[in-house]
Amino acid sequence: MSWQVFAQSLLFGIFVGGLYGLAAVGLSLVFGVMKMLNVAHGELLMLGGYATFWFFSLYHIDPFLSLLPSAFILFVIGMGLYKGLFSPLSKLHEEVKIKNSLLIGFGLSLIFHNLAIRLWTADERSVSVIYSGWGFSLFGLRFPFIRFSGLVLATIVILALHQFLTKTYFGKAIRATTENWESAALMGINIEKTSMISFGFGAALAAMAGTIVSVGYAIHPAMGLEWTLKALIVVVLAGLGNIGGAFFAGVLLGAVESVSTLFVGPYMEVVGLVIFLLVLELKPQGLFGKSIA
Amino acid sequence: MLSSHKKILLLSLGVSVFLALVPLLTKRNDFINILILIFLYICLAQSWNILAGYAGQVSLGHAAFFGLGAITARFLWVLGYPFFLAFLIGGIVAVVFALIIGHPALRLKGIYFAIGTLGFGQILKITVGNVLPTVADLPGDYIATYSLIPRYYLFLVLAVITVAVVYWINHSKLGLGMVAVREDEEAAKASGVNTFRQKMIALVISTFFAGLAGGAFAFYQVSYYHDLPFSPIWTFDALLITFVGGVGTIIGPIIGAFFYTIFKELFARTFPELHVFIFGILFILVVLLLPGGLVEMAARIRKLLTSKKAVAPTV
Amino acid sequence: MLEIEKINVSYGDLQALWDVVFEVNQKEIVALIGPNGAGKTTTLKSVSGLLRPFAGEIKFEGVEVGKMQIHKRVEMGISLVPEGRGLFPGMTVLENLELGAFTAKGRSSKEETLKQVYGLFPILEKRKKQAAGTLSGGEQQMLAIGRGLMSKPKLLLFDEPSWGLSPLLSKVIYEVIGQINSSGVTILLIEQNVRIALELAKRAYIIENGRIVNQGDSQNMLNDQHLREAYLGTESV
Repeated sequence: MSWQVFAQSLLFGIFVGGLYGLAAVGLSLVFGVMKMLNVAHGELLMLGGYATFWFFSLYHIDPFLSLLPSAFILFVIGMGLYKGLFSPLSKLHEEVKIKNSLLIGFGLSLIFHNLAIRLWTADERSVSVIYSGWGFSLFGLRFPFIRFSGLVLATIVILALHQFLTKTYFGKAIRATTENWESAALMGINIEKTSMISFGFGAALAAMAGTIVSVGYAIHPAMGLEWTLKALIVVVLAGLGNIGGAFFAGVLLGAVESVSTLFVGPYMEVVGLVIFLLVLELKPQGLFGKSIA
Repeated sequence: MLSSHKKILLLSLGVSVFLALVPLLTKRNDFINILILIFLYICLAQSWNILAGYAGQVSLGHAAFFGLGAITARFLWVLGYPFFLAFLIGGIVAVVFALIIGHPALRLKGIYFAIGTLGFGQILKITVGNVLPTVADLPGDYIATYSLIPRYYLFLVLAVITVAVVYWINHSKLGLGMVAVREDEEAAKASGVNTFRQKMIALVISTFFAGLAGGAFAFYQVSYYHDLPFSPIWTFDALLITFVGGVGTIIGPIIGAFFYTIFKELFARTFPELHVFIFGILFILVVLLLPGGLVEMAARIRKLLTSKKAVAPTV
Repeated sequence: MLEIEKINVSYGDLQALWDVVFEVNQKEIVALIGPNGAGKTTTLKSVSGLLRPFAGEIKFEGVEVGKMQIHKRVEMGISLVPEGRGLFPGMTVLENLELGAFTAKGRSSKEETLKQVYGLFPILEKRKKQAAGTLSGGEQQMLAIGRGLMSKPKLLLFDEPSWGLSPLLSKVIYEVIGQINSSGVTILLIEQNVRIALELAKRAYIIENGRIVNQGDSQNMLNDQHLREAYLGTESV
């Protein structure tokens, strides 16, 4: 096998890995603040993709232009979901809280899946724009414009998020809540509001990833579970609550998956899942994470 | 007067006998098929209920064991082995896999166990889907001799036995141990309960019956894609049914299975999958507001009605 | 300033406080002392909002706050330096202090208060870029106190400020608490180390098994024979 095939495969893996990272960062952010795992995260990503699809097919708005509006819509939906469904759980004992949030997320994923089938049929959809096929070559490797932009976008968003978390007061409040919510409350931080906005951010981040998927790949109502699993794998690899590491772990997963296609073909997803199970078993705090205890 | 224990047993016996007579009373296949589905869902949900409702371990990989039972039973049966043997081996294969992954998996904390089992289920589904992407067909002579009646009885007996097992667990020391683990694992461990063993036993019983349910499915469904029994929908069905009915109760999954199947059939022509949507919403409502499901709701209504009859206290 | 009127608090089914009554007047230093598990931390948690009493009232400056959300109480001027410091270990000293000034009132005077805190605890300025989790026990306590000051509180609550500290460091911390009080902040502290608490506080309440069993002038308590034997050992004062 030539190095070119290998390198091209690796490259494609990195492109999609950026999206994995973007999806995972949203999930990790939510877990860090609320200590709840939203297993409907993939469905939020899907809804973001469909929002972009609607903007395009109904109003002919370019997906890169509708990226932010779609994200904003999901931001609002996310806040609403938090307020209605997850907020009532926040007062519960930790173990019950996590279990119930898992179940709520599960119920939500089924409802959204069904809703999507009803609204958009079970067929695969994709946004095809004029520049869908464009790309450039570097070092003999192909860089499809859209997929490459996906990586660029993910990087920009993550960097912006990092700035937000380290330089703004609210960002610091989010980090404080993640480290010690009781003390955060004692500082005068409104934990309810912080959780709600964080959940909204998580949904918005997922939506952005969804937008790129709708343009560069394809969306369909059943994709939620697939993406939730990807995000879960990445979050566990990076360590629950490790927001920064999630991006790199995402790129890593994408790269490993893509390259393993060359060796094990259709079992590439299994590779990711097996790594996931191994990490769960051997190092639940993740490859780069701190100990949960 | 008979004790409530005896009353329940007598009632169950009566219902079971009645159900056993159904094929003799009607020739309507659609009616029998609905009952078969109800029995299938009862077994699927109750088996999940044992692990999640009683031992408190929420598994999201139930479909894996359903699938293992289905694929084993189907293969052996099509190869010519007597179905009953294939069916039992299917259950055993499911248990073997459960033992292998149970050992590492049950040591994980709640949420990790849930997503770990989810991952495991996906691995099996993808693998089977890749190795056997085709439809599982029945040989011509099997189809020619296909009769709904034996399948009806197989499912009926399976459902009855599964419910009986749950009933037994509910009243046994084993069940107490499981519930102790469910309520507070640390405290149970501290008071001398071998929590790992309890969880393992629950897992074995749960997956055995899931495997049997899968085997029965393989016997009943003439053709299906090989990876269908491994699809996460089966896990979701089990969760929806058990929770809406009443998790951790004996009758909950039965009520849930009944309504689930009825809704499914009701909307099959107009809005397929609407039953999932409805149950999804009910499920969320149950988790947030009524953790005991329909069973709890029935109990509350009963209390409301009987308290109205109470005599006003004298001042 | 702070009136606790017969509060009853439980953790689930376990009742921890029974009809607890006490008050703290403006500019005072009041100590709540008692053995381990008596309910001291529970009381402070109720005042700060981490717990809600199921009966009884908590009044701050005449306003009933017992059911108020935590962040609103901070905005009213109640600040708690929690048990075990409660720092944000992954964040820097400066970030911890900045978070202390999260409220609008705190933020508007942040720079000024920061200078004051650095004045009290110069070591914090030196270590301002360091992660809070890497500080020594004494430094962490200083940071916790500094952080508590950043919201410009009217009432500052301390949960065992001497915990885990050497006698020398404890003395230093208590001196600082005294200084804080001199600058106009009312103090309510809980302590297991009875002597050091009574030497600083003007008044004290004794709590045992969730009930207030004694109260009075701290000097009198220090001299009280019975108390000395129960809490101070039989050593002479």
